[in-house]
Amino acid sequence: MNELIENGPKSMVIGILALQGAFAEHQVMLQKLGLQVEICVNLVRSVQDLQTCDALVIPGGESTTIALLAKLSGLLDPLREFLRTKPVWGSCAGAILMSRNVTNAKKGGQDLLGGLSVTTTRNGWGSQIESFEVPLVVQSLSQPDRPFQGVFIRAPVVFSVDLTPEDPPLQIIARVPVQLLPDAQHLVLQNQNLADPLNPRTIVAFRQGNHLFTSFHPELTKDDRFHTYFVQECVIPSLVTGRSSLIR
Amino acid sequence: MSTPANNTPQSQTSVQGVGTTSTPLPAPARTQKDGGIGNTAVGTFGVKSGLAQMLKGGVIMDVVNAEQARIAEEAGACAVMALERVPADIRHHGGVARMSDPEMIKSIMDAVTIPVMAKIRIGHFVEAQILQQIGIDYIDESEVLTPADEENHVNKHSFKVPFVCGARNLGEALRRISEGAAFIRTKGEAGTGNVVEAVRHQRSVMSEIRKAGVMSEEELYAYAKEIQAPFHLLKETARLKRLPVVNFAAGGIATPADAALMMQLGCDGVFVGSGIFLSGDPAKRARAIVQAVTHYNNPKVLADVSEGLGEAMVGLTIDKDLKGGRMAGRGN
Repeated sequence: MNELIENGPKSMVIGILALQGAFAEHQVMLQKLGLQVEICVNLVRSVQDLQTCDALVIPGGESTTIALLAKLSGLLDPLREFLRTKPVWGSCAGAILMSRNVTNAKKGGQDLLGGLSVTTTRNGWGSQIESFEVPLVVQSLSQPDRPFQGVFIRAPVVFSVDLTPEDPPLQIIARVPVQLLPDAQHLVLQNQNLADPLNPRTIVAFRQGNHLFTSFHPELTKDDRFHTYFVQECVIPSLVTGRSSLIR
Repeated sequence: MSTPANNTPQSQTSVQGVGTTSTPLPAPARTQKDGGIGNTAVGTFGVKSGLAQMLKGGVIMDVVNAEQARIAEEAGACAVMALERVPADIRHHGGVARMSDPEMIKSIMDAVTIPVMAKIRIGHFVEAQILQQIGIDYIDESEVLTPADEENHVNKHSFKVPFVCGARNLGEALRRISEGAAFIRTKGEAGTGNVVEAVRHQRSVMSEIRKAGVMSEEELYAYAKEIQAPFHLLKETARLKRLPVVNFAAGGIATPADAALMMQLGCDGVFVGSGIFLSGDPAKRARAIVQAVTHYNNPKVLADVSEGLGEAMVGLTIDKDLKGGRMAGRGN
């Protein structure tokens, strides 16, 4: 990876979808990273803003609100196209928008961007009083011995993994312990072995191609290791190959 | 979490099964388990203020029934405030205004997937316990309702559910935060359709923050005394050059231009109370205000969305004859 940085891009433009939600927190984190590569952060509110970006972060917020504002700004299709070619990271609401399907959508359904082979359940843990913090063990980050504080706010749950043969594989980055899973009826599969540590419902962070999914909020902590991971593992490789290595 | 007070509902209420809709089964125990990875915490200040951070750049709309809540959700509201009467009607009807019927609040929680907030009277911690029990997402300890306690606010640290409170100036905002509020809004003058008080309050907060931002530590001690704010919160505010929690505009916002004005004055988002459902075309106005908050710095979008919205709510002049009186003075 160091080699990639040395021979790779000197600078990059990372967009943050700034329609609604906690985009400013991501901006502060990315601007403070202090990596060897120069990162320009671009707040994206229009198609023109998006065109200048090498990668995109879709922040937490309300997925229904963000989807409506994207639609009204003519951004839905340009964002879907962006997801086909460039690295995108969705945290919480952003992760919902990047899912292929959602359950517990608003009545009448809601627009999604797609891009990731999962079905997520919105507000999987319940209302705000069920929101929680938990230290996560994340082997893929630098200093893997140091737990990463996961902040889950009305967070989505990965309901199922729906890989088709054409999809790039899912690389699981972090899970929560099985006993933390909500026991809500709609989240329990028939015959599902709740003690199975590989239960898809325990997935809280994964990578597919150059996309990153976190159902929690690294931008609400002071720990920038997920931001570093996104830049070094998702964005830089896509710039080096000149195009997304979605299928590897 | 801070020390629970005597009136804490936490000691009696487990974190189990207070879900909103289809969660009849109790959730597995995950309260402060010690040791290993199960070291989980609910109701931390981080998740309380974190939800407010997720609401930023959004519009929170007052709704009085499930149908209005659905209109608000479709129009892009990032949350709704469930109440029996909008502030303009509270002014009109007079009498004592209280927390809404939990059944009515639950019907709104069932109708939408976005966060649902509800109001309690200032100092009425039992109304707060009831709202926490039914699984509300945020509580507004609001001057719009008739205060239950003229001296004390609710000790908000002792609840798992987060609170938003109104403030007219920096001292008031920091006092509310020290009581546990995770989210601040201007008081404005609710139910008037007149933005002048919200502007006054936001300008006060911002100019006091700028003043504190250039003070030495010695001066901050004296300033904390002057504005009756806890020193450590004032120092943190001076360092950040903004309030340490999210700050929305509220009270009298009726048009997309009003909403964008408050955003340009430094607010993180907007509450709209009577302004939407007392106007000629609520769905269209709601959507326009949502767009105005996102594109608050883009006059072209603001001009586009301000067109053809139909009649705005009737505004009231704020003077000594104001029907229902000045609400902003309640609670200090």
